Amino acid sequence: MSGDYKFDTLSLHAGHVPDETHGSRAVPIHQTTSYVFKDSDHAAALYNMEIGGHLYSRISNPTVAVLEQRVAALDGAVAATATASGMAALSTTLLTICSQGDHIVSSSRMYGANINLMENTLPRFGITTSFVDPCDPDAIKAAIQDNTKLIFGEVIGNPGLDIMDVEKVAKIADEAGIPLILDCTFNTPWLLKPIDLGANIIIHSLTKWMGGHGIAIGGIAVDAGNFDWGRNDKFPTIAGPHYSMNGINFYEEFGPAAFTARFRAEGMYNLGPSLSPTNAFHILQGLETLPLRMQRHMENTAKMLEFLGNHEGVAWVRHPNLPDHPGHELAKKMLPRGAGSIIVFGLKGGRDAGRAFIESVDLASHLANVGDAKTLVIHPASTTHSHISAEAMIEGGLSDDMIRLSVGLEDIDDIIADFKQGLKAASRATKA
Amino acid sequence: MKHVLHGTKIHLATGGRDFDPAGDVLVMLHGSGQNHLSWILQSRHFAHQGHSVLVPDFPGHGLSEGTPLETIEDMAAWIIDLLDSLSVKTACIVGHSQGCLVSIELATRYPDRITHLVLIAGAMAIPVNEVLLDMSEQALEKAIAMLTSFGHGPEAHKYDHSLPGHSFIGFGERLMAVNNRNALKADFTACNNYSNGRAAAASISQPTLCILAHKDRNTPLKFGKMMAEAINDCTLEIIKNAGHMLPVERPLEVNAAMRTFLGNR
Repeated sequence: MSGDYKFDTLSLHAGHVPDETHGSRAVPIHQTTSYVFKDSDHAAALYNMEIGGHLYSRISNPTVAVLEQRVAALDGAVAATATASGMAALSTTLLTICSQGDHIVSSSRMYGANINLMENTLPRFGITTSFVDPCDPDAIKAAIQDNTKLIFGEVIGNPGLDIMDVEKVAKIADEAGIPLILDCTFNTPWLLKPIDLGANIIIHSLTKWMGGHGIAIGGIAVDAGNFDWGRNDKFPTIAGPHYSMNGINFYEEFGPAAFTARFRAEGMYNLGPSLSPTNAFHILQGLETLPLRMQRHMENTAKMLEFLGNHEGVAWVRHPNLPDHPGHELAKKMLPRGAGSIIVFGLKGGRDAGRAFIESVDLASHLANVGDAKTLVIHPASTTHSHISAEAMIEGGLSDDMIRLSVGLEDIDDIIADFKQGLKAASRATKA
Repeated sequence: MKHVLHGTKIHLATGGRDFDPAGDVLVMLHGSGQNHLSWILQSRHFAHQGHSVLVPDFPGHGLSEGTPLETIEDMAAWIIDLLDSLSVKTACIVGHSQGCLVSIELATRYPDRITHLVLIAGAMAIPVNEVLLDMSEQALEKAIAMLTSFGHGPEAHKYDHSLPGHSFIGFGERLMAVNNRNALKADFTACNNYSNGRAAAASISQPTLCILAHKDRNTPLKFGKMMAEAINDCTLEIIKNAGHMLPVERPLEVNAAMRTFLGNR
């Protein structure tokens, strides 16, 4: 995707031009629920989608719009809609496309809430899902049925770090006449722009690396604008008449931005998963340094991989940058800047050693998040994936002893020193 | 709405309202490599303002089937055939870029059918350099990227869009990618070969509004001004700091200028 400005510049500038009245260089926080209409005609024009603008912050907000426009620019998309969380972006996306009786083909090895949404929540509304190995394109293809409306997966799986062959799966989706929707939280547009490989809709949890500082929860659905919603009769919610606005047809009237138009007109309007303008502002501050932070995340990750790989207390280490990872060659090709800053590893001594380690580290924080500027650790089996069945955990690439490490931006020597004393504690716990 | 003209299925956007051929008809003509989606922020607005809006996708563009037309004169004749097929007696023509060439050709050849003109980011001649012409055939994606980048002004390159969350550059490229692969080349050829612009402009007697962009890199401001000066009854509006894609870059200003002009008829 072209444009005169490069990624680093867009991270700082895209989406916002200082207004002439005040000249504020920083993005203002429009902490308002509503907007004064110029007159009745202006109000009607906004409600009819005749013109752009804001009428109610549940639907759109100027600060949030800056964030949306910035992420759209960074991902090379036609449009984006921000939401209160990544899960809100995903659930609203699925509900924009799917209706009762529809079917989804999804990766089986993903973030627990992604699985729970499709396995337990959507079936109550008549939307079913087949979960398949994301690294098996043949299995993905075989799972597609007549009523399948989309394929979903994570580029870098959470927490097993499986790498999906985006180009292959995008081709499968295209041949089936359905969109490929990807959770790109772990890669951000700095590591990979899946739209360039044929992905159609991108979901980010902005909470993670995009915001990057662990201070604001947010999500976003990014519209590549490259899926022809009118190519078959599978997508009446987008290519058929809408229930209001005189039966507006989003496909005919908004073309490549049809999905976004429906998402906003129904999803934001009826479901209301709105991102607060203050959170949007916080996330924008993080986004401004995304290129710098991601570079540092990758540098620190490389050093942590070397440290962990050589430590006697570590039983195994998994990361796509390591030659023994099954997705290593694909990661080298698809993610040349690095395959993210999540490392999973197991300690000799299993669960007890893991617990001792986590409770001993001082600089690394034990909490439920990833992609913070600070280094984070967690034991998925007892926390983020504790609600998943034992069979699903194994299928999801999890193990009892697995520790998920989100490598931060600290001086790496300090983190390594912290880990050394944590690993010593783990060793003591095992010997005790 | 869907329509058949010369045996070809074509798409006519009507701004979300039913089209009334006996109403105050406003026909919006897109530019090179564009389609009805260039007018997203005008079509619905003017349809809801009480006009009978018609935004055709020329053959091979947008949702219209068929082979792209290859001369400006053919495009003008196609529009008249379209109006005849819809029983439209007279219309105001709104053109953007290449659409301006078609508009002035329509106005000079069919003066009793065209009541008013709105010419947005245009000129009397729009020559296309050889490099871009070749690129439109040999490297279409590169040509689309270049045209989209060039076609947008400085603020659009900072992605501050009036439609929340939308990208000028992203949408601009996808819009062009929707057309037939030979559409851009055909449009460029038509523009390059059109030589009647000066004579057509000089002959126009219909009231005309010219809306030009201060930072238009595709049809530079000075050529737009020359067009405005050549037309007898012409009101000129120049929008500061805007690029060639005026209808989408500065919709509020474009629409306000059009409302004033149309309201004064």
